[in-house]
This record gives sequence, structure tokens and C-alpha cells, in this order.
Amino acid sequence: MSSSKTSRKESDRHNPKNSLISMISRPEIGPIGVMILLFGMLGYFSIPASETTWNPFAGEGFNALGIRNNLRVISQLGIIALGAGLLIIAGEFDLSIGSMIGFAGACMAMTLRWGFSIVLPYISFDGGAHLEFYTLLHIPDVSPILAIFITLCFTITFGWIQGFIIVRSGLPSFIVTLGGLFFLRGLTEVSLRSFNHRPDQAKGATTVTEIPDIKNIINLPGYGEMEREAAKYLPETDLISILKNLPSDVITKITERLEYTSQRVAEAKTDLLIAKGVKPLEKALENAIASDNEFMIKTIQDKIENFKIDPVTPKTVTDVDIARAYIDTIGSARPVADFFGGNILEPIFDWLYFPVDWNVNNFGNQFAPGLYSCVMIWVILSLVCYIVLSKTQVGNWIYSTGGNLSAAQANGVPTNKVKISLFMFSAFCATLFATCQVFEVNTSDAAKGNLKELEAIAAAVIGGIVMTGGFGTILGIIVGAFIFGLAKEAFFYIPGIDGSFYRVFLGFVIIASALLNENIRKRIMGNI
Amino acid sequence: MISKSNPLIETKDLVKKFGSFTALNGVSLKVYPGEVHALLGDNGAGKSTLIKALSGVHQPTSGKILVEGNETKFNSPRDASEVGIGTVYQDLALNSLTSVTRNFFLGRELKFGKGPFGILKMQKMHNIAIEEMAKIGIKIEDPEQPVGTMSGGQRQTLAIARAIYFGAKVLILDEPTSALGQKQQMEVLKTIKKVQQLGNIAIILITHNEIHARLIADRYTFISLGEVIGSGTSKDLEGDDIRRLMAGGAEVGDLAKELA
Repeated sequence: MSSSKTSRKESDRHNPKNSLISMISRPEIGPIGVMILLFGMLGYFSIPASETTWNPFAGEGFNALGIRNNLRVISQLGIIALGAGLLIIAGEFDLSIGSMIGFAGACMAMTLRWGFSIVLPYISFDGGAHLEFYTLLHIPDVSPILAIFITLCFTITFGWIQGFIIVRSGLPSFIVTLGGLFFLRGLTEVSLRSFNHRPDQAKGATTVTEIPDIKNIINLPGYGEMEREAAKYLPETDLISILKNLPSDVITKITERLEYTSQRVAEAKTDLLIAKGVKPLEKALENAIASDNEFMIKTIQDKIENFKIDPVTPKTVTDVDIARAYIDTIGSARPVADFFGGNILEPIFDWLYFPVDWNVNNFGNQFAPGLYSCVMIWVILSLVCYIVLSKTQVGNWIYSTGGNLSAAQANGVPTNKVKISLFMFSAFCATLFATCQVFEVNTSDAAKGNLKELEAIAAAVIGGIVMTGGFGTILGIIVGAFIFGLAKEAFFYIPGIDGSFYRVFLGFVIIASALLNENIRKRIMGNI
Repeated sequence: MISKSNPLIETKDLVKKFGSFTALNGVSLKVYPGEVHALLGDNGAGKSTLIKALSGVHQPTSGKILVEGNETKFNSPRDASEVGIGTVYQDLALNSLTSVTRNFFLGRELKFGKGPFGILKMQKMHNIAIEEMAKIGIKIEDPEQPVGTMSGGQRQTLAIARAIYFGAKVLILDEPTSALGQKQQMEVLKTIKKVQQLGNIAIILITHNEIHARLIADRYTFISLGEVIGSGTSKDLEGDDIRRLMAGGAEVGDLAKELA
């Protein structure tokens, strides 16, 4: 018998950590690669066909309007992906997110439009038995914050109910929230039709319109509260009279800005006219070169060099223009509505107005006044979720609830509370989504949020969340939302290809990500 | 006051009935600090019921449990762990997907501020986890290593270190060596030895394996059909006795005859 005495220890079997390798083996690295690829695609394919450039950021996908619109899609998805993702990490699903968005939007729009009341139905026997309603409470004018609060009461309660049923009964969350999906969508349609039923209609509508543009209500000195657009189209004498009360430095600043704008617009128009005039000459030059006519070449070259055109005179800035520009600078009188539905980073977009010729059309108007507020809400929510999941006790509880439920329970983790809270959080995220939407567009539709629950789950999976729970990061969810949103946009820009190919692409990405995630999970579990 | 001569935990005539079935029929047992007390018996002998009664999962039908001489009643596992009974079950109650530290402090995280949203004191927890595991013989290089990548023996150590750190005076180990390879079994036995050498902790070791029991146990209790059929210190018992008692009192010699 021979035995070799070795001093090898168990820990020797693990290769020492190498910072490069540990960076590559992070679960987010695959998705980040796909994200960068999509960034490139979106940029490159959104360059107009006539221009030739290798700089992908020259494309329409990355001009001010492109960034504004792309980030809106991404951040809206990102908000609900956070709710769905955290829930999956804790080992449960929520399929009711999409319907919850529709429900929350309808609830908010209805309270904003018709007010809020609590009624008590009872049977009255006066003149035959019939149902009558006793109004306990009626608030005809609901402020944005109250509308959000009322909606949250409903949605979070519903999230709690779903979580409670799942935790208590042990039923799979798939089936309970599937019930929630149908229930909420149906409830939304039914209540919209019954509230939104004008006498002249046979059936009620499932769309709420005619909500004022709340985020753009401003307090105009001397006129009180009114919508920004209405204020801009006041009689011109009124507009000019507004200017009288303004300090002179404000007026100077606005005037300078408007003069600069019209100057730049005039220059741009001049350039355009020159280009239009020179183009036929250049074509003629090409022909002349082709036919080797030296005299012609010389003549045409002279003509191009001496091509002159009267520069376009800049539009003069009138007092009415100044007043309208001033109205644009007045802050909203409804900060809550503005917080959810307004714009952010407006000064930056103002500053980037001309220097890069990137955010202005030929009338001197900005393409994009700023980013949608939902981007900011997504960023805030992501930060909060990151801190909670990675840095707090609750984060450890969420991981362990999804990773090994019985171990978590044995160590005293209140797993039921964790799960129910996350169902409530996912309802909260859906409500945030709806809030942003309602205050942005001032309408609501019962069909809003359709299929969003699946998009949210897909984004989470693409970002490295394992469906069996216990594994995943917030950074991953963010990247997943980016990939989903970018794919939706990038494929739209590819010429000669059906826009719906983005779904084909995403199908591949989802399956590939799920395989990758499972591989990583098994490696960590020690099954490989 | 802990002294070697007084049992840390003691049961007197413990009876547990599930309906008409008597799982434990008057079990008495004394466990001393600094000793490994091997609890041996065949499948279904009542070992599991006994340790579940000791760790507060089951409430005994009659009989007494005394901790340091005081009669105690456990209504829940939490009660038991509060008086210092730490149970390490076979599944170890570990989450393989998260790090050593996160598992070590699972449910009892150190944090800044009160409430579940307190920020974790990660560095401090890393240090404690490494230190506590080193005390019983396993050096962990990386406290962020997922538990799933650790060997079975290391996981067992983690679970034991955790129980001790959170105040276990009586450590109940439920078949710690089953489902492990030879080498890892030895590692776990070494760990148990280290805990024994700490001197103030009483260990109840449930096992099927008489070889392991003989390697580290100081005292034995044999259970069959819910009753104690034999007990003694390692000096009192001969190898054949142990084998006979483990098989529920049947003579191994008889078996040899039958098989012949």
C-alpha cells in the first residue's frame, strides 16, 4: 500500500480570484455585450441613407428626439421590470402587472376626471324595491397627489390580496396572478364603461379623455391658473401687458436667446439654400470631369467658388414672441403631476439646443424639450432597489426566500412577509408606470399595459434573473430593460426589414439568456 | 455555572405520542459540556423525534427537559435557540446561491440602524464569519464565495460555526456525516473534535455510523423502538456491545448464523 502525503487543502481547489476573470464571470457581462451591440445597431441603422458616416451616434436614434423616445420606452419597461425581477428573485411571479397598469391608469384618470366618492348601496322600498346609494364621501376636485394616493390604496391592496392568497394557500403564484390578470382587466373595462357612459351613447367608452393637461397648468401673474397652451394664445395685447411686470434682466435674457435662435435658424436656412444651389453645379462638374472638358471644369469650379446667395434675414423678435417664450419658462403649478408626467434635464437640452445642431428643426423649435420624467423615476427606483437588495437585511431575506425557502424559514426569516411585500411592490411599480403614462398623455385606456407583464419578466430574464429564484442583480434588470427597449427601436430603423423582427430577435435572446443563467446557477450550486 | 459534573441538558422520562403511536416511551438522557454524546439507533427508533423535542419542534406529551438543571418548556424552535440549543439539520439550512457571510448571518444580520431596511455591516460580518470558521478548523479565503461552491464538509462547518456563534451551548448534529465522501467525513469529525475541545459546549451527535461514533464520542445512548436500550461511556462499552445495541439489541452473532 502506498499513500502520498499531500498538504493540499480543500481551498486549494479553487483558483485564486483574478480581477479580470471575476469581471468576465459576472452574470451581467453577457447582457451588457448584447446591449452594446444593440446600441451600435440602433445608431448605425438610424443614420439617414444619403449620409455616409461611421459614427453611429450621428444617427437619428441618438439625436435629442431619438434619445427622448428610446429612453421613455426603456424606462417605462425598467420600472415594471424592477417589480417583476425582485419578485422572481424571491421565487414568485406576477402576471397581473399589465392589467394592474390598465387598472391603475383607469382609476387615476377617472378620479381626476369625475372625482372620488365612497357610496353605500342599500335597497329602498319606496315605489318598489330598488337599489339606492347613500354617498358617504364625495370629493369632486381630486388633486394629482390624491388621485395617486387613492389608486395606490386600490392597487397595493390588490397586490397584498394576491400575495396573501399565494402564501397562505401554497398555490403557485402563476395561477393566482393569472386570475388577477383577467380579473383586473375585466374590472377595468366594466368600470370604465359604466362610469364613462354618456346619455347619447349606447355603450360606454373604455377610454377616458378630456382630462386637462394638468402638468402644464401654470400660474400666470394677473390671470390665475391656466393651461400653458391657452396662456400662449391669449390676445396679443394681454401677452404684451404681461411683459410690463417682468424685470428687465429676464426680458433681456429671453430676447438674447430668441435673437440667437432666429440668427441660427436664418444661417441654417441660408446654408440649405446654398446647398440647394450648389448641388446642380456639382453634378455638372462631375459630368464635365467625365467628359474631360477642361474649360467647363474650370468655369463650373469658379461658379461653385463664387456661388453667392443673399443670406436669409433673421426673423425679428417681437414682444409677443418674448411673452410666449416667457410662458414656456414658467414652472408648473402642479408639481406632482409635473414630477410624473413632465420633463427632466430641460436646461441641458436647452444648452444643447444649437451647439451640436442636434435638437432643432427649421422653425427654430426644439425637437425635444428634455427627457420624460419616467426616466428619473426609473433611476430613483433602481437606486432604491439596488440599495435594498444588495446592502440591507431585507435584500438578504429576498435572496434567501427565493434561494432556499426552508433554510430561510429555519433561520427566522419572515418569508411570508417578504413575499407579500414584494407582491405589493410589484403592484406599486405598475402604478408608477400608469401614473407616468396618465400624466404624460392625459388619457387612459382600458387596454393600456397589455402584455407588459410578459415584457417585464422577459427583461428580468434577459438581465440574468433565474426563474427558480434566489439569483440576480438590479444591474442585470436595468441592462435587461435596456436590451428589450433598444431592440424594439433598433429593428425599427433597419431599412428593408420588417419591424416585427425585433420579437424574433428577442425570442432568441430570452432563450439564450435563460440557458446562460441556468448554467451560471448550476455552476454556483455545484452541480457542474 | 457550567461544570463538567453537571449535565447541560437532561431529559427525564420523555414521552411523545402521535395519536395512538408512541414515538418516545420514557427516554432519559444526560449530556455534559465538553462531551460528544452519540445518539445511536436504527431507522425509526425515535432519534429524530427526540431531537425535535429537544429543539422545540415537537412538544413532549409528558416528561421533563432540564437545561442547566432548570425545567424548561419549548413552544417553538425559537424558544429552544434562545436558551442555547442549536440544531444543525441534515439540509443545513443554507442558501447555496449566496455568499458564506450572507448565510452565516441569515436572519440575524448585523446592520446599521433598526428595522429590516438597516444597511448591512458587510465588512464586520465578513471578518466574524472567517474568524468563527477558523476557530473550528476551516480557513475560508473568500467570504463572498457562494456556499454552493464549498465542499460538503465546509458547509457543515459553516452551519456548526453559525450555531455556535449565535450562542449554542448544546449543539445537536443530525447525521452530519451522511451523504459525504470519506475525506469530507473525516473533516467533519475533526470539526466536531475542535468544538469538543472548546470545552463548554455539549454535542449531541446522531449517527448511523458506529466507526464515526467510536472515533469521537465520549458517551453513548442507544435507542430502539422509542426506548433507551443501553448507554455508557466509551470506556464502558466494547465494540461488540455497540454493534449489538445499534442493531436494536439483536445479536449480530445470530445474524451471522442465519446467513451462514
